[in-house]
Amino acid sequence: MNKLVLIAWRNLYRNKRRTLITAASIFFAVFFAIIMRSFELGSYDHMIKQSIELYSGYLQIQQKDYFDDMNLDNNLVYDEELIQTLSNTAGIKAFVPRVETFVLASTGHQSKGIILTGIDPLREADVSNPEHLVIHYKLTSENLTLIQQEITLPEKQLEQLKIFQNTGYNNLDRLSADIGLKPHEFDLYRKVFEKYCRVPGIYLSELDDGLLVSNRLAQFLRVNVGDTIVLMGTGFQGSNAAGLFPVRGIIHIPSPELDNKLVYMSIQKSQEFLNLNKNISTVVVNLNDADQMLSIQKELSGKLDPDKFVVKNWFEINPTLKQQIEGDSVSGQIFIGILYVIIFFGIFGTVLMMITERMREFGVMVAIGMQKKLLSRIVSIEMIFIGLAGTLAGMLASIPIVVWFNHNPIRFTGESAKLYEDMGFDPVMPTALIEGYFAWQGVIILVMVILACYFPLKKIRKLKVMDALRA
Amino acid sequence: MKVIEIKHIVKIYTEAELEVIAVNGVSLDFDEGEFTAIVGPSGSGKTTLLNMIGGLDNPSSGEILIGGMSITSLKGSELTNFRMRNIGFVFQSYNLIPVLTAKENTEFVMNLQGKSKRECETRSLELLKAVGLEERVNARPAKLSGGQQQRVAVARALAAKPKFVLADEPTANLDSKATETLLEIREKLNRKENITFIFSTHDNRVVKKARRVITLEDGKILSDIKKNGSD
Repeated sequence: MNKLVLIAWRNLYRNKRRTLITAASIFFAVFFAIIMRSFELGSYDHMIKQSIELYSGYLQIQQKDYFDDMNLDNNLVYDEELIQTLSNTAGIKAFVPRVETFVLASTGHQSKGIILTGIDPLREADVSNPEHLVIHYKLTSENLTLIQQEITLPEKQLEQLKIFQNTGYNNLDRLSADIGLKPHEFDLYRKVFEKYCRVPGIYLSELDDGLLVSNRLAQFLRVNVGDTIVLMGTGFQGSNAAGLFPVRGIIHIPSPELDNKLVYMSIQKSQEFLNLNKNISTVVVNLNDADQMLSIQKELSGKLDPDKFVVKNWFEINPTLKQQIEGDSVSGQIFIGILYVIIFFGIFGTVLMMITERMREFGVMVAIGMQKKLLSRIVSIEMIFIGLAGTLAGMLASIPIVVWFNHNPIRFTGESAKLYEDMGFDPVMPTALIEGYFAWQGVIILVMVILACYFPLKKIRKLKVMDALRA
Repeated sequence: MKVIEIKHIVKIYTEAELEVIAVNGVSLDFDEGEFTAIVGPSGSGKTTLLNMIGGLDNPSSGEILIGGMSITSLKGSELTNFRMRNIGFVFQSYNLIPVLTAKENTEFVMNLQGKSKRECETRSLELLKAVGLEERVNARPAKLSGGQQQRVAVARALAAKPKFVLADEPTANLDSKATETLLEIREKLNRKENITFIFSTHDNRVVKKARRVITLEDGKILSDIKKNGSD
């Protein structure tokens, strides 16, 4: 075996250029496949995290009929037993009770059907953290004119500020990112933006009787902080629910769908408003590790009375997002597949050339007594050497890039950022951390090397000594 | 003692639907320690006969026995194994393995036979010394002259102590000095190891040294002369 390895190694060294070209093609295939897949998976993770942490949570515990009939009569009792069950389940990061129903929101100008969500203002910070959605800054054409009178902004940033007119911001750092300025660059203008863009708005307190209204909905209803909204709907067991509520803050929700129709109210106030007593609609559960979602769902389903409760995961709650990611993932995989096919034929061509040009040498070896299977082994060892070298180098070279963009995601600015936000996504593209996919790219390339060797090795097995000696 | 027995072998090639009889009913015996030169014009069937004796090609009919065993019935890996254990080859264009040194080339067949490292090393050094290449044991073929490469090829052919050595035009690419040296080496090793040598050749210097000269023409034996006093 040592002799075979020695011959294989020296053969690689004999034609250094060919070896380098083959290894380089494998290197680039692995490198680009990992980077591409990493950005894809990173973006999906980010989208999922954003969507889940924004509203739905990874798991929801509902009354067993609620999922099919989102009626407040299908409510559940948020009692100590349920709290204990959730507290004693490993892997759960946080859980919060919510009341959720559809009501009609009306102002003097407009009316619209909306989602009213009752939240525990303090505990919700562990799940969707709506406090970070409250708009404290807003850019309008009027305040942009005032800003321009006081400072001279670079032309590019000025153009981008126009793109983000009427967008609400919780903090100015996000605005500076949207217009492509680093925080320290933005510091030059920060005071002026603070002065002209600040808008009123506060988060809900525990016993608050006010509302947080989503930005697009507020624009539709033409309400601002301090205005009031009439909410009308059906409470528990068909009771009438109607009331006048002050707007405490406007929230910017990255999902346009939710931004058009979401109103938050304190859970206690919502229970009173809807005559729910202490009952709730759902318990939203956040997890430490998304990969454990299905196992935790199974565990909870086993622990909870199936006649009363049902545990749903985000795939079931938000099937559209799941399908969107799956569809996108398939197109990404097809692209990587095409890359692999090109590389496969590159490797295949090299192996075939390597064998064809050494046919006479192989003929001599078989003539003097070397078995064809040993000959095949030499060629296989050569290809495994090249494959391993290219694969390992590709994996190693991609690590710093994957790690860097995981910690410093690509952030889109200007039009691209606006486009992303309009679609309901954060305009950032991080890479996924180094996980299973990383090794898989290596495994796939090595499998391709083995497949690429199949036909050339078959040629060796069918080698006729006399023909080979004449080659 | 007969090492090789050839019984009425025929080899027919079909080229462009035409049948070419390369070897036509040849029967021969070769004794142990014999040095035979097979001569004849180009296309007389020398190389084809040699290839069939070496198990590289199969006769269309007839039988070849090596040490009493028929090799015409052996197939694939059995035949390769048989060649490894019984036959040494010397080719016209040396055909050394380019990535191996002179010593490694010499050891190659012994390695295939599974001989110990020490045994391989002792034998290869002994043979390389015998062919006058003790100073070039670590040189690769590309660094050796044609004559030196052919001497390594002889050492490789003899290393595994085969029953006989087949050499196809071994001196065709060598100058007269290198040819002389090669023949001296062959003579020395033949004397020492009593190995049968069969050379196909056009070279008169080889013919002069051979104890037996077989002349082929159109695939048939024209003459088979055993000399006294040669070698």
